[in-house]
Amino acid sequence: MKYLYAYPERCTGCKECAIACSLKKFGECNPKKSAISIVRDEFERYEFPIVCLQCDEAMCMTICPQNAIYKEKNIIKINKDKCTRCRLCVAMCPYSAITVLGDEIIQCDLCDGEPTCVKFCPTNAIEYLEETAELAKRRKELVKKLSLK
Amino acid sequence: MLTRKLGVIELTKEKIKIEDIPLSLRKRYLGGRGLNVWYLYKYLKRGVDALSPDNILVIGAGFLTGTLAPSSSRFNVSAKSPETGFLGDSNCGGYFGAELRYSGFDTLILRGRAKKPSYIFVNDGEIELRDASGYWGMDTIEVQRAIKADLGDCEVVTCGVAGEKLVRFANIRTGMKNSGGRCGLGAVMGSKNVKAVVASGSIGIKLAAPDKMLEKVLELKEYLLNSKIIQLLGRLGTPLLYEYSNIIGAIRTKNSQLNAWSTSLNAEQFEKMAEKMVACSSCMVHCRHRNKLGGEGPEYTAVGLLGANLGIEKPEEVIELSNICNKLGLDISSTGTILAWAFELYEKGIIDKKITHEKLEFGNFELIKSMLYKISMRNGFGNILAESTNATKYFGSRSKDYLIAVKNLPQSDPHDVRYIKAFALGIATASRGADHLRSRPTLEIFFKLPHRVKERIYGRNISPEPTSFKGKEKAVFFSENIYAVIDSLGLCKFICHGFNSPHLLGYEHFKDLIYYSSGLRFTKRELVTVGKRVIDIERLINAREGITREDDTLPRRYFEEQMKLGVAKGHRIDRKEFELALTKYYKLRGWTENGTVPRKRAEELIKL
Repeated sequence: MKYLYAYPERCTGCKECAIACSLKKFGECNPKKSAISIVRDEFERYEFPIVCLQCDEAMCMTICPQNAIYKEKNIIKINKDKCTRCRLCVAMCPYSAITVLGDEIIQCDLCDGEPTCVKFCPTNAIEYLEETAELAKRRKELVKKLSLK
Repeated sequence: MLTRKLGVIELTKEKIKIEDIPLSLRKRYLGGRGLNVWYLYKYLKRGVDALSPDNILVIGAGFLTGTLAPSSSRFNVSAKSPETGFLGDSNCGGYFGAELRYSGFDTLILRGRAKKPSYIFVNDGEIELRDASGYWGMDTIEVQRAIKADLGDCEVVTCGVAGEKLVRFANIRTGMKNSGGRCGLGAVMGSKNVKAVVASGSIGIKLAAPDKMLEKVLELKEYLLNSKIIQLLGRLGTPLLYEYSNIIGAIRTKNSQLNAWSTSLNAEQFEKMAEKMVACSSCMVHCRHRNKLGGEGPEYTAVGLLGANLGIEKPEEVIELSNICNKLGLDISSTGTILAWAFELYEKGIIDKKITHEKLEFGNFELIKSMLYKISMRNGFGNILAESTNATKYFGSRSKDYLIAVKNLPQSDPHDVRYIKAFALGIATASRGADHLRSRPTLEIFFKLPHRVKERIYGRNISPEPTSFKGKEKAVFFSENIYAVIDSLGLCKFICHGFNSPHLLGYEHFKDLIYYSSGLRFTKRELVTVGKRVIDIERLINAREGITREDDTLPRRYFEEQMKLGVAKGHRIDRKEFELALTKYYKLRGWTENGTVPRKRAEELIKL
């Protein structure tokens, strides 16, 4: 299974990934309507790409009162017909990977195996990699670390 | 895509109007610089005092700003310049331009003067004038942090303390170092009692052909990232230009008394001081150093003008001076030029302690540092330096002979242009004064470029020698037109044809990006026409302020003194050759021999 991995030290903050994601998914350029978010603060000197980690025990899935969130071939997806826009998934995702803008719940579906964000990143700050034991450890540790907060 | 609005903020009356931007205007001026100068021409009256409420300040995002188009972060700020008395216009990167568009606006016009310190909050289609008394007196970094802490996710442009104090070369700032640097537009903002314009928005820019755009940009990304110059810029930033210029002897040193300086300021030295390279919105180049001394930069301009021109040799000192200028909101080009001018005047005895109160000397880091604070606060001698080229009033007429400025604007390019004749003609004709970003025909400094490459780009009968004026009006004409289009689109010149390389993006690429984003079809010829139109409107604005052929000139030193060092040794500008080139340039533009736009053309430009 392949997952998205973010490398903040390589991220320059340009948001091209987020703009491409919004254009692909919604036909508009809007980094706030994107399934990848770049959290950046030039004054505090950091750039941090937030991607969906496709958790094994995903909080969004567990919490959804409508069972609108499901996994298909290991990729988390939202059934828009079932979704009532209650936004519990947005509130409960431990690392803000699911976002909402207006009435739109925005969640990463890995573009069915060809993530747009990865294609547009000029510095390989986001990579789409087959999970190795080492990467699995990294991903799971990150989930654990962020979940505890 | 074409739904972004114009917001007119009447500061005196505290009234705000929101209007559509007519499609006919879009087609003629695109956005950014083009639309800005159109509105400036329309609303600015002849002869107003630039620091009075009668001046207007236009802030405009480019046509493609905030889209997926590569390096499309840029916006322009325009007004009558308090530094020059002519057109003031400045282009800036960062994240504000994109955010302005996401907030639903393309252009904002600030008129009049607010009764109390204010800021303008632009948020999802609405504009509010708010109290800024709590932010007044803060430097450009403090105020941005405070506003973000108060309002959350937003982008801020501010005038800094220098703008509040009406320093004539105060810039407009956003982020750690992005500056609408030239022409003192921060002072115009300060004169309007406006501390900042804040944008926040989540209105996406809907494109005409999303899939085509994604495909095109991906193709351009591969193309750009394979370019050697783009790779170098992403590692070394603009300081990479220093070494090459220094070798040919084209670095303005100690107010152009010399033309080469220490290798200690080569780009590799600055690379060591970088923690990380960062980018502007939508930019793949990432040319900005996040430096280890708490700021971002320096740029090549800072290396030249706060380094060589002030006799500074240590890279860390250049970085610190650059960081301080950014914090205070001072234009680095004017700061470095005005200080070097004063230092030479002091050395020559044209001014003395009666006016300066202390000994002025090149290379004195602590002195320069303290001067930056004095200028920005208008303290003591800093109050006179804050007048920029207007300080000749205090320094006497002899001081003019040593001033490196055109149309009252201190020269921005760290190049001593006596050697490179196309550069010289370009800074003489630039609509905002001695500035290289209007026409920099970079290919001129690459001697070994095959003649046919230059010919293909600029046209025929151009001398391959940088030292010859022959045909150089064509290189300037070509560059001015395409850069006006680039500024109107909101793209960065770094990825564009002619600025860094002959291979980067040009009209053919712009056509596609415009079409896929807006559905508007332009031919190459039509785009060139937009560029020419922008230049002509700018000339009309300047003509209204009394510009003549005599203002399209160069500093006296460039004509009368030979360069002393390096490959460039012995070169200067021949007045006759220069005048001939200028005449040819006017002819290409379709202007009269006195540099005026013919009445018929002017009438055609004015009616829509």
